[in-house]
Amino acid sequence: MATETAPAPTEREEAEHDHHPEHLQHHFVSSKQQFDSAKLGMWVFLITEVLLFSGMFVAYAVFRQWNPDVFAAASGTLDQAMGAANTVVLLTSSLTVALAIHAIKQDRVQRCIYYLLGTLGLAGGFMVVKYFEYMAKFEHGVFPGAAFDPHGAHYEHLAEMTAAPQFFSIYFVMTGIHGVHVIIGMIVIGVLALMAWRGSFSSEWYTPVELTGLYWHLVDIVWIFLFPLLYLI
Amino acid sequence: MAHDGPHIVPKSILLKVFGALIVLTGLTVGVAYVPLGPLTVPVALGIAGLKATLVVLFFMHLKYDNPVNALTFTIGTIFVVVFVTITLLDTAFRGDLGNVTAQTVQEIQAEQERAQQRQDAIPSDSLRIAPSDYPNQDRGASMESDEGS
Amino acid sequence: MSTTTQDAPVEQAGPDEEETNYLNHETSIWSWLTTKDHKRIGVLYCISLAVVFLVAGVLALLMRAELSGSGQTLMGNDTYNQVFTMHGILMVFLFLVPSIPAILGNFVLPLQIGAKDVAFPRLNLASWYVYLAGAAFTITALLTGGVDTGWTFYTPYSASTGGGVLWMTSAIFVAGFANIFTGLNFIVTIHKMRAPGMTWNRLPLFVWGMYATSIVQVLATPVIGITMVLLILEQTLQIGIFDPALGGDPVLFQHFFWFYSHPAVYIMILPAFGILSELIATFSRSRIFGYRAIALSSVAIAMLGFLVWGHHMFVSGQSAISSIVFSLITYLIGIPSGIKVFNWVATLYKGSIWLQTPMLYALGFLFMFTIGGFTGIMVGVLSVDVHLHDTYYVVGHFHYVMMGGSVVALLGGMHYWWPKITGRMYNETLGKIAAGLVFVGFNLTFFPQLVLGARGMPRRYANYAERFAGLHQLSTVGSQILGLGLFLILGYALWSLAYGEKAPANPWGATTLEWTNTTAVPIHHNFERIPLVTRGPYDFHLADEVFGGGDGEALSDDVPQIPDPAPSAPSETDPTESAGV
Ligand code: HEM
Ligand SMILES: [Cu+2]
Repeated sequence: MATETAPAPTEREEAEHDHHPEHLQHHFVSSKQQFDSAKLGMWVFLITEVLLFSGMFVAYAVFRQWNPDVFAAASGTLDQAMGAANTVVLLTSSLTVALAIHAIKQDRVQRCIYYLLGTLGLAGGFMVVKYFEYMAKFEHGVFPGAAFDPHGAHYEHLAEMTAAPQFFSIYFVMTGIHGVHVIIGMIVIGVLALMAWRGSFSSEWYTPVELTGLYWHLVDIVWIFLFPLLYLI
Repeated sequence: MAHDGPHIVPKSILLKVFGALIVLTGLTVGVAYVPLGPLTVPVALGIAGLKATLVVLFFMHLKYDNPVNALTFTIGTIFVVVFVTITLLDTAFRGDLGNVTAQTVQEIQAEQERAQQRQDAIPSDSLRIAPSDYPNQDRGASMESDEGS
Repeated sequence: MSTTTQDAPVEQAGPDEEETNYLNHETSIWSWLTTKDHKRIGVLYCISLAVVFLVAGVLALLMRAELSGSGQTLMGNDTYNQVFTMHGILMVFLFLVPSIPAILGNFVLPLQIGAKDVAFPRLNLASWYVYLAGAAFTITALLTGGVDTGWTFYTPYSASTGGGVLWMTSAIFVAGFANIFTGLNFIVTIHKMRAPGMTWNRLPLFVWGMYATSIVQVLATPVIGITMVLLILEQTLQIGIFDPALGGDPVLFQHFFWFYSHPAVYIMILPAFGILSELIATFSRSRIFGYRAIALSSVAIAMLGFLVWGHHMFVSGQSAISSIVFSLITYLIGIPSGIKVFNWVATLYKGSIWLQTPMLYALGFLFMFTIGGFTGIMVGVLSVDVHLHDTYYVVGHFHYVMMGGSVVALLGGMHYWWPKITGRMYNETLGKIAAGLVFVGFNLTFFPQLVLGARGMPRRYANYAERFAGLHQLSTVGSQILGLGLFLILGYALWSLAYGEKAPANPWGATTLEWTNTTAVPIHHNFERIPLVTRGPYDFHLADEVFGGGDGEALSDDVPQIPDPAPSAPSETDPTESAGV
C-alpha cells in the first residue's frame, strides 16, 4: 500500500519517536495511529450524516409513491438548467478539493491554497444559484408549509393538487439542510485556506484537509441524489 | 499510509473520474426526457448511485483505504436502504385490511357530511332493518347513534 | 502466557495519602470543567445523570402516589399528563440512553483495552457540554408551559399543541449529539487504541457490549435528529409531512420515531449485557462460557434491532403485511437475547459463586430481564398485542427490561467499579440490604402492572375503575420500597465518599486490565506503562494466584498484592500493528 519511495516502515517509525512530531497528541503512540483514528472517526461521522439525510429521503419516497403524478408535475416547475448547472459546479468543487489534497500530499502548499480557494468560490457560486432559485419560487408564493399559495402562469396548476405542498416542503427542507451543510463546509474550507497560508500543513500533517475533503465529497454525493429526484423525475 | 509516504491518487485518475461524472450528469438529464415508464426512478437512482460510487472510491480514496472505513460506509448505506424499503412496505400496502384509507382528515369529514345529508333526506319513519337499508352502509362506523328508530 | 511478572510492580496499593492519581493531581473546579481525561468526564456525567435520575424518580413516585386511589388524590389530569411525560422523557433521553456508556463506558473502556484515553478526548468533553445544553433546553421547556405529549411525541397532537413542545423536541435533537459523540469516540477507540496484544478475541465483554451499543448510537441517533427537525418544522411552518389535517401521515411519524427508538432500547440494554458478563465472570470465578457467542450476539442484536421497529405500530394502521413481517422478525430478536442468558447461566454452573452486592444485582438482572424478554415476545405476537397494546402490560414489559434490566445492571456496575472510581469501598451490609429492597420493591411495583394490563387497565390515565384498586395500591407500595432502596444507595454512596474504607487495587480479584494493571485509583495517564496483553480477559487461575481469589481474601491485608500480572509492553509499539485492523 505504501508508495515505492517510502522507506521501510520500521526505520521510519523509530525516527518518528525520536523527534516526536509536534502534532502527535500524548495519548497516541504514532502519527499513523492518530491519522487513522481521525479518518475512521470522520467516516463514522459521515454515516451519521447519511442517516440524517435518509429520513428526508424516506419522506420523499413515501409521498412520491402515493402521488407520483403530482410529484412529476411539481418537479417540472423546478428550474432544470439551474439544477444541472449546480450539479456541475458541485462536482467541480469536489475535484478541486481532491486536487488540494493531492497538492498538499506533495508539499505544494501554494497550489493547495489555490485549490481550496477555488472550492470556496465554487461553493459560493452554488449558493448564489440556489438563492436565485429560492427567490423565483417565493415570488410565486411557493413556500414550504402553510404559506404555500402558488400563483403566476407557471405555478397556478399546483394550487389544486393535493400533495403539491408536500413536494415543496420536502424540496425546501432537503435543499435547505443541504445548503446549511454547504455553508458549514465553506466556513471550514475558508479556515483551512487560512491555515495553509500560515503554513500549518505539509505532507507530514494535513489531517484537517483530508477530513474536510471527505465531508465535502459527502455534501456532493447528497446533491448527486437530490438533483435527479427533485428536478428530473 | 498516513504520512509515511501517503498514498497519492494520480491526477490523471482524478481528472478521468471527473470527466465520467460530468458525462453521467449529462446522461441523467438526457434520460429524463425519454419516457421510461416504471423504469424512470430506478434508472435515475442507478445513475446517481454510479456517480456516488465513483466519488466514494476515487475522490474519497476508499478504494485504496483501510477496509474498516469501507465497511463503515457500507453498513451506513445498508441501513438507509433498510429504512426506506421497510417503511415503503407499510405505505405501499396501507389499508390492505380495508381498515384505513389514504384520505386526509378533511376528505373523510367531507364524506361523512355528505353521508349525513343523504341520511337526512330519507324520512325518519321509513323502515330500516338490515344494514343494507342504510344508505351509507359502506361507512357504517361513522353513523350517528341517535339515528333511526 | 506469563504467570509471573518481570517488572517491578506498579505502586503498592495502600493507605498512602501521598499518591497522586486522577482525582487529586489537579483539584480546582476549573480543572474539572476543562478536563479531557475520560475518567473525569465519566465522573462528571455520573453526577449530572444522578441528578436527572433523582428528578425523574421523584416524578415516578408522585405518579404512583396519585394512583394510590381511584379518582383525584394528588394532582389533576393535566398535571398527571405532564408528570408522566417528563418522567418518560427524562428517564429515556436524558438518563438511560446516555447512562452506562457515558458513566462506566467513559471510565472503564479505555482502561480495559489498555489505552491512555479515548481517541478524541476533546470531543468527549464536548459531549458532556452538549448534554448539558440539552438539559438546559429541557428546563426551558418546563418553564414555557411543560409538555404532555408522552415521551413518544405522536403527531398530530404534538404538532398542534403549544407549551414547551418546541423546546423539548429541540432538547432531544441537541442531546442526541452528545450520544453520537460518545458512540463515535468508542468505535474509533476500540478499533484503533487497543494496547499491544489486545486482539478482538481478548476484549473484555463489556467492551464488546459498548462496541455494539456505539454502532446503534451512531446509526440510529441521526434519525431522531431529523425526526425532531421535521416535527419542529411541522409546528412552526406546518410543512404537512406528519399532520393529517394538512395531508401528512401521522403513521409516518411513528415510523421515524421508532426507527430510532426501538434501536434505542438496545442502546439501553446492550451496555447492561456488557456489565453483566463482567459481573457474572468475576463473581463466579470462572471463565465466561461462550465468549464468542456472547460477543457476537451483541452485534447481532444491534443489527437485528433495526428491523423490528414496526412492532410498536401494530394497531396504528400500518399495513397488515408489514405488521406480520415485523412480528416475525421480532421473534428472532429473542434468539440472541436467549443465547446470552443461557451462557451466563452456564457460567454460573459449577462456578464458585461469591455473593457480593454486584453479584446480587447480576442475579436479579437474570431474573428480571428474563421476565422482560418473555413479556416482550408476548407483546410481539401480533394478535396478542391487539389486546395488550397501550395497557399496563406494555408498561410492565418495558420497565422489566429498562429498570429491572438496564438500571439494575448499572447499579451492579456502579458497585463493582466504585472502588476503582472513588478509591473507597462502600458498606457491604447496607449494599446487600439495598439490593434486596430494590429487588423486592421493583417486582412488587411492576408485576402487578403486568396483571393489570392483561385485565385491561389502559396506560397513561390518572384514574381507574374501582376493580383495579387493589393491584394499583400494591404497585404504589412497591414503588415506595423501591424508592427507599435507591435512597439508601444514595446515602451510603455519599457516606463512602467521605468515610469509606480505602480500597485496594483489586478488591474483587478481577482479571481485566483496569483492575490488574492500575493503582487503586488510576493515575492521570491510566498506566505507568502501556500493558502488553498475553492472555484472554477471564483468566481466573492467574488472578486467584496473584490476588488471592474471590472469597474475600483479596480484601485482607496479608495477601501479597502484586498488581501486575500482565507485563507492560517492552517499548512503545503501534497497537494497530499487533492487534490488527
Ligand atoms: C426480547 C426482546 C424484546 C421484545 C421482543 C420486545 C417487544 C416489544 C414490543 C412488541 C413492544 C410494543 C408493545 C406495544 O406497544 O403494544 C415493546 C414495547 C416496548 N419495549 Fe420491548 N421488547 C424487547 C426488549 C426490550 C428491551 C431490552 C427494552 C429496553 C431496554 C424494551 C423497551 C420497550 C419500551 C420502552 C416499550 C414501550 C414503548 C412505548 O410504547 O412507550 N424492550 N417491546
Ligand atoms: Cu421495540
